[in-house]
Amino acid sequence: MALLPENLSFSRKVLPIIAIGALVLAVIFIAMGLPDREQSEPEKEPPRAIGELANGARVAGSGIVEPSSELIEVGTALSGLVTDLMVQPGQFVEKGQPLFTVDTRAIRARAAETQAAITEARAALGEARASMNEAEAAIAEARTAEQTAARQLALYRGVDDPAAVSRSEVIRAEGEAASARDRRRLAETRLQQARARVDQANARIQSAQSQAGTTRTELSRATVRAPIAGEILAVNIRPGEFLSNQGGGNSAPFITMGETRPLHIRVDIDEEQAGRLAMGQPATVSPRGAADNQVKASFVRAEPQVVPKRQLTNTASERVDVRVLQIIYALPAEARDAFRVGQQVDAFIPATDGAQGSSGE
Amino acid sequence: MSQQVAITTRGVTRDFQSGSQTITVLHGIDTEIRAGELTYVVGESGSGKTTLISIMCGILWPTKGEVTVFGTDIYDLDDTALVDFRLENIGFIFQQYNLIPSIDAASNAAVPLIAQGMDRHEAREKARGMLEKLNIGDQADKLPNQLSGGQQQRVAIARALVHEPRLVVCDEPTAALDANSGRRVMDLLREVAVAEDRACIIVTHDNRVFDLADRILVLEDGLITHDGKEMPDDH
Amino acid sequence: MLWIAIRMLTGDKQKFYGLVFGIAFSTLLITQQLTIFINLIERGASAVYSEPTADVWVMDPVSRTPDVNFPMPATALDKVRGVPGVEWAVPHLRAGASVRTSDGDLEGVSIVGVDDATLIGLPKRLIEGDISVLSQPDSVIIDDVGAGKLFENGADPIGARLELNDQRAVIRGIADAIPTFTSQVTLYTKYSQALNYVPGTRNRMTFVIANAADGITHEELASRIEEQTGLRARTREEFAQDGIDFIIENTGIPLNFGITVALGFIVGVAIVGLTFSLFIRDNIKQFGALKAIGVTNAKIRKMVTVQAGLVGLIGYGLGILATVAFIWGFSGNPDFKGFYIPWQIPLISCAAVFVILGLTGWLSLRTVLKTEPAAVFR
Repeated sequence: MALLPENLSFSRKVLPIIAIGALVLAVIFIAMGLPDREQSEPEKEPPRAIGELANGARVAGSGIVEPSSELIEVGTALSGLVTDLMVQPGQFVEKGQPLFTVDTRAIRARAAETQAAITEARAALGEARASMNEAEAAIAEARTAEQTAARQLALYRGVDDPAAVSRSEVIRAEGEAASARDRRRLAETRLQQARARVDQANARIQSAQSQAGTTRTELSRATVRAPIAGEILAVNIRPGEFLSNQGGGNSAPFITMGETRPLHIRVDIDEEQAGRLAMGQPATVSPRGAADNQVKASFVRAEPQVVPKRQLTNTASERVDVRVLQIIYALPAEARDAFRVGQQVDAFIPATDGAQGSSGE
Repeated sequence: MSQQVAITTRGVTRDFQSGSQTITVLHGIDTEIRAGELTYVVGESGSGKTTLISIMCGILWPTKGEVTVFGTDIYDLDDTALVDFRLENIGFIFQQYNLIPSIDAASNAAVPLIAQGMDRHEAREKARGMLEKLNIGDQADKLPNQLSGGQQQRVAIARALVHEPRLVVCDEPTAALDANSGRRVMDLLREVAVAEDRACIIVTHDNRVFDLADRILVLEDGLITHDGKEMPDDH
Repeated sequence: MLWIAIRMLTGDKQKFYGLVFGIAFSTLLITQQLTIFINLIERGASAVYSEPTADVWVMDPVSRTPDVNFPMPATALDKVRGVPGVEWAVPHLRAGASVRTSDGDLEGVSIVGVDDATLIGLPKRLIEGDISVLSQPDSVIIDDVGAGKLFENGADPIGARLELNDQRAVIRGIADAIPTFTSQVTLYTKYSQALNYVPGTRNRMTFVIANAADGITHEELASRIEEQTGLRARTREEFAQDGIDFIIENTGIPLNFGITVALGFIVGVAIVGLTFSLFIRDNIKQFGALKAIGVTNAKIRKMVTVQAGLVGLIGYGLGILATVAFIWGFSGNPDFKGFYIPWQIPLISCAAVFVILGLTGWLSLRTVLKTEPAAVFR
């Protein structure tokens, strides 16, 4: 130290320099190490209210796209195998257009049977009529013979000369008259019988004919037709499948269709918020996941009944503690491409400037 | 000789509290110290000589009385002014030298100059000159513990004289030295410390060096019992 | 004179290094312990800070922190969306679940369900994979620390299959996230997927994340949401603080660290105080001589201040250096992931150093100032 009085002293020069260096280093380290807590914008656009709704009173709800006719799940009146399927999903159909048919062979067999019964009854009728005619002829012949015998007997009775007419002659004539009477009576009985047979045959014909009508009706029921004009949305049957009309429980509907011109949106609004809603105002809606694709949908109606919220929960177990008012909006025709039936949408609806709505302003 | 009066004391009394007792160490000292003289203050331990010299050089307040140093009533000054007065006018040589162990001889000797605010390097140069005058210029860059007792004493003397004070106060300068060294130091002091306008007070009871004094004050129980060129015979 | 003061100080190497060590040790103890303490309790807020987009978190009125929550009905989302000033709002789910790993171990995990459509709620950065992987079926993204815990053998987590609530989950990404206080494995997935992974209760949506429209402050929005919906709304900063407060209130951590910091302070005071007063005592004769020669008390004070200042500078610098080295050295350890030194802490320890030196310096100085210059003659 005596030799190097001030040139280099560890404790007086080096240490302070180290200390100051350490402080600089620490400042840099601390500045670099500060955690990144910057906020950032989301990468994908979340649904947001735009225009005057952005800062105005509004009600938000989530909804689902549905046909304006609501969903029609087409069923069948007859059970049986599907023999013919005439439509595809996405196809537009007219009212009454056949959709599919079920197996008709059994019905057709029954129809043939009925036809045979009619023919047989008709034959029986002819037969009965013939025997009726026969009986009538016999009656006529017997009457004639009776009259002849009666006249002869009267002739004999008018001859006073007993010798002129032998007693035997008279007895023979009396016998003939009686025999003719008997024959007539017999023929009359036969005629009545034939008449009954005709009536019976007529009844059989009528019964068989009405059966034939039933079979024809059934045959037409085997072909299921579109109840309204609309779009086929889903087809869950294939030719050869057996359809039961005994209520398939949880099975999918055979054919789902509905009028998709225009599409409707059913928006769920929390019952607590329902009072603030401005009824009749158009809603701003956007499909899930495409929030920048916003469309104005016009008001159609509000469902009169408040129902438990069922849809859009994304989970199998339903939540039933929340009740929602359902409001129907119609999508404009040009937005048809962006929306599909069953798709979830986010909706913003103007609110009446209620006491709550403006409280934050 | 009609020298200038350096210090005048008037009725200087000093009491010390020792428990509930009050011990009076000085009983009204009236004396004058003249410049250009080497004045010895001699006395037994407890005679009050250290107290007297402390009061004379402005580091101990008297209980009563006044002290005038070169015309200044030093106990009339406020604290800071008194400290500054000491720094400008008084040089101290302590019995144990009280050198600062971590700075070299030149720096130690330069302390009064540095305290006065002089630049450190300039002060060291001046101190180096003083050390050369005291014949230890070659030791200027050594630390005190690298020096012998005598050399340390010289550094202490250099420190006392470097700022050319008008009063030099010296406490037992020879106590730690053998007879020869002690004599040499006293010679040296006579040579460098005593000047026309400078007073030099030495507290000692070293009878080997009494012959070098210009004046000897003997203190006994707080009173000056002898004032003269020679020591009284009974000592 | 100040030069002399410094020379006096550094001349006595033992005491000088003793003083420097005392200050450095105190600084290290205070800074390092406070840093660990702050980082540890800030783990309570990491879930909030991991979500980079939210301005306001909306929750059930009884929910307290990201992990202590109570789910809300699904329509709460629409309620929040209906509040004026909400630019957008998305659902967010945080819930605990148990995962069966491929090894058959059972591990508790937090499931985070982010909005299906926008994926809002994911951490900012992924270490591996892309957020688009969530659109694949049964995808989850795991946090990096959790990946290390779940795959201790170093197997590649990507593609690993897990079993959650009898459902299949495939890890397809690793997120860069700060672990939560409990260091639970966190799995990020879509909200709808998360509903399948979390054992069912009636309501599942635990949070709604909302952002403020331009021109409205977060606080204003939060109070507006609270007023209109009756739910609890907290700004990002408030909610982060809630998480921190929860840990402070429910753990002994503040007390433990407080004790250590106090010990650091006391040890500092003790070492520095003793050494400093020893140093002053050793030099009392020199100080006395200086006072006699004519150095004023003010100058003596300055000298001691400079001595304390030098000791403080060097000791503090070395202590901070040691702290930085410690934090830097452990930055690779998953338990220390995301640890940083808040800039306030070095200032606190600096203030502590000031107090230590001021206190001990003042005590030592008192003896110097009380020393009568006359003492040098005895």
